[in-house]
Amino acid sequence: MTGDEAQQRFVALLHERFGIHEIPADNYPLVDVKHHFELARVLKEELGYRIYSFVVASHYPATVDAKNENAEIDAEHYEVATGIRCVGAPAHLASWRVRAELDQAVPTLFPLFAGADWQEREQYDLVGVRFDGHPDLRRLMMPEDWEGHPLRKDYAIATACSPWR
Amino acid sequence: MTPMIHGLVWGLIIGTVLVTVAALSIWFERKFAARIQSRYGPTLVGPAGILQIVADALKMMQKEDIIPEKADPILFRLAPPCTVIFTLTTAAVIPFDENVLAADLDIGVLFLLAVGGLVVFPVWIAGWASNNKYALLGAMRAVAQGIAYEIPLVLSAMVPVVLAQSMRLSDIVSVQAQTHWFAFWPLGPGLIAFAIFFICSLAEANRIPFDIPEAESELVAGVTTEYAGMRFGLLQMAEYLHTLIASAVAAAIFFGGWDGPFAPGLHWMVLKTLVLFFMIFWIRWSLVRFRSDQLMALCWKYLLPLSLLLVMASALFVHYRAMET
Amino acid sequence: MQSSAAGVDPHLDIDTYDPGADLMVLNLGPQHPSTHGVFRVKLYLDGEIIVKAVPYAGYLHRGVEKLCEELTFVQIIPVVDKNDYVSPMMNEQAIAMACEAMLGIEVPRRALYLRTLFAELQRLASHLLWLGTFGMDLGGALGGGASLFMYCFRERETILSLFEEVTGARFHYNTHTVGGNRHDITPKFSHDTKATIRVIEERIGEYVQIFSSNRIYRDRTQGVGVLDGDLAISLGITGPLARASGVDHDLRRDAPYHIYGELDVNVFTESAGDCFARTLVRLNEMRESIRIVREIIDSVPEGPILGIKPGKSPGHIKIDASQRYSCIESPRGELGTYVIGGGSNRGASAYRLKIRSPSLHAASCIPYVFPGHTVSDAIAILGTLDPIMGEVDR
Repeated sequence: MTGDEAQQRFVALLHERFGIHEIPADNYPLVDVKHHFELARVLKEELGYRIYSFVVASHYPATVDAKNENAEIDAEHYEVATGIRCVGAPAHLASWRVRAELDQAVPTLFPLFAGADWQEREQYDLVGVRFDGHPDLRRLMMPEDWEGHPLRKDYAIATACSPWR
Repeated sequence: MTPMIHGLVWGLIIGTVLVTVAALSIWFERKFAARIQSRYGPTLVGPAGILQIVADALKMMQKEDIIPEKADPILFRLAPPCTVIFTLTTAAVIPFDENVLAADLDIGVLFLLAVGGLVVFPVWIAGWASNNKYALLGAMRAVAQGIAYEIPLVLSAMVPVVLAQSMRLSDIVSVQAQTHWFAFWPLGPGLIAFAIFFICSLAEANRIPFDIPEAESELVAGVTTEYAGMRFGLLQMAEYLHTLIASAVAAAIFFGGWDGPFAPGLHWMVLKTLVLFFMIFWIRWSLVRFRSDQLMALCWKYLLPLSLLLVMASALFVHYRAMET
Repeated sequence: MQSSAAGVDPHLDIDTYDPGADLMVLNLGPQHPSTHGVFRVKLYLDGEIIVKAVPYAGYLHRGVEKLCEELTFVQIIPVVDKNDYVSPMMNEQAIAMACEAMLGIEVPRRALYLRTLFAELQRLASHLLWLGTFGMDLGGALGGGASLFMYCFRERETILSLFEEVTGARFHYNTHTVGGNRHDITPKFSHDTKATIRVIEERIGEYVQIFSSNRIYRDRTQGVGVLDGDLAISLGITGPLARASGVDHDLRRDAPYHIYGELDVNVFTESAGDCFARTLVRLNEMRESIRIVREIIDSVPEGPILGIKPGKSPGHIKIDASQRYSCIESPRGELGTYVIGGGSNRGASAYRLKIRSPSLHAASCIPYVFPGHTVSDAIAILGTLDPIMGEVDR
């Protein structure tokens, strides 16, 4: 199986089992958060995607209409991208995005992948997104008593010098 | 000269010489280790870096005397000098030459092994009194190792005693001078007995591959973690002294001491001691260390039964030789 | 002393453990000669056996990912150099590849050959450093381990001199950029490289002998720190660590990048999963790197080394709001970069840049592998896991 065939199989899976028809060209498919765990489970147990690659959370502040500041185009939310890989050739990476609202938690993948433990802790620590069902969700990089999540867009520490603009 | 004056004078001389040689050996070890590792070692201070020892000693002496707050005040201070004292005391009975001997005890070997075995105590106390978990781990390992390796050490030292039928060290050396060196006669058992004695001395002196009490990569500095300045220097000095004295004892009881193929004398003893000392350095800079349970297994499962067999074999050997004559 | 990785509960509640046992809590680090950087592992000891191990990362967290949102793509290359500070070429290549993939830039053939060359030389240097420090972990800085350490560093210095010849820096090169490389090699470089790897190849034979024929080394590493292959990949562990546990996975062969697709990369696996197996895998990889370097050093094609026009300002690489993950096989496993474009400086910076570091996953297997071993074993295992804290914490 080549990389392209693996990708097609992944797209077909999303299409048939999860009803996702829209695969953007320069982005990873957006999956509903309630399908998140099931998709990972299907990939791991049925298709053999057993290597846990990454989870990335990003913070998107609320975007407002330039003309009318009260009209919110999009609420503040997180986007969590997950990637898992199959063993051996073609080592295809299946990755997808999940959107989580500010107070919504993303289901944890720890029951399937032990590597989700630290990766999700790190994303919680730095971005603030919570993972439902995680056995030990506490800070990893920052000190335990740190307040705030550094990689959020509204987080800044006052420093004297600023980098090149 | 009464034995007391004789002992005091010679003891002072031998002690001084041994401490000086141990200090010089630090320089030698550093140069030797450097050459094994394809680098130079100390070169700046003095010709070929020999004054490095003086520089290090001065550095240690002028360091701040740090004692942890919760460390046991008496035991912490007592441990380092005790290691040196017990180690150096064993040198009293070693025959460096026919007349160069501090105390010609008729229980020489017993004295040697008994006082040498006491060295485990100050090491243990040092680790305990430091009030530090790493030091405690090191101390417990030192005790386990010290006690375990004491037994094959004693048993393998019994082989020359049985062959010479005397515990007096000068007797052991003169018997070897008259017959053959005990390392080679009886051939086989003698060499194995020497090997066991050598290995157990390494273990008693906490030298690699048996240096788990001060395993630097695991226990920071093990037993010596909380010691600074000259106290640390004393602990290190004790290790070098113990190694030197163990080499001297092995040279005396297995390799004939001051005996030689021609012109027997002090120089042979010195030569043999230094050769064994050199071998100990060589082993140190080539091997990695054992894990503590593997160390114990080596002692209890292999060295102990072997040394028991050797004592019995040498006893049988002496018996049959006596029956023949 | 076998580990029971499969049956170990990493979140073991220590209060429910045998109340009669007098457990001692020992902090391994952050200041410790052998924790491979600032890393703390809290060990619960029953005598000398570890009952539970809790690793604490984050002592070296420097906010690289936040910095990546302010600095431009070209500017962050020297910054990410310091993540995996033992094999900096890999970090640079990962970032450059991610940007090139997103912009569709074609890197010239000569640059691809150079990147492969540098990557393999860097892999060799990284494994040499690992071997030296592993010897020190086993045998102490004052002992036989230090001898092995000195030998490995002597060899590594020759490789760093090669890099200095090309890029001007022994360490942290900043030689890769988006679109290609910045420094070109000369015929003298090829000549020196061949001489260097010939010497190293002989010496690796000596190191293999040290390991496989020395009884003490074998006793310290065989059967110690067994990591189950399935647990490894579930944890996200790739690279020599996973290959030593029987997982036949190597990105150079399975998802080729640079010119690995045209080479035959031999992948070495062992099934034991213990420290000895990891040692063997890395030693074999060293030899494989030498073989690959020898194969391509003379066939580097002529041509440019930069696929785009050299930029006049640091902000000349602009990426719009798209997302992409791309990865390479670093000496420690899968080193990847997830880039979300469309950040500040009109797209010249990333909106979010995440570095997927293999050492983070290697360090996270500690709660599974340590229990059941002694403290000495813990140090040996930590040595073979080869975590680089700069990468773990970023």
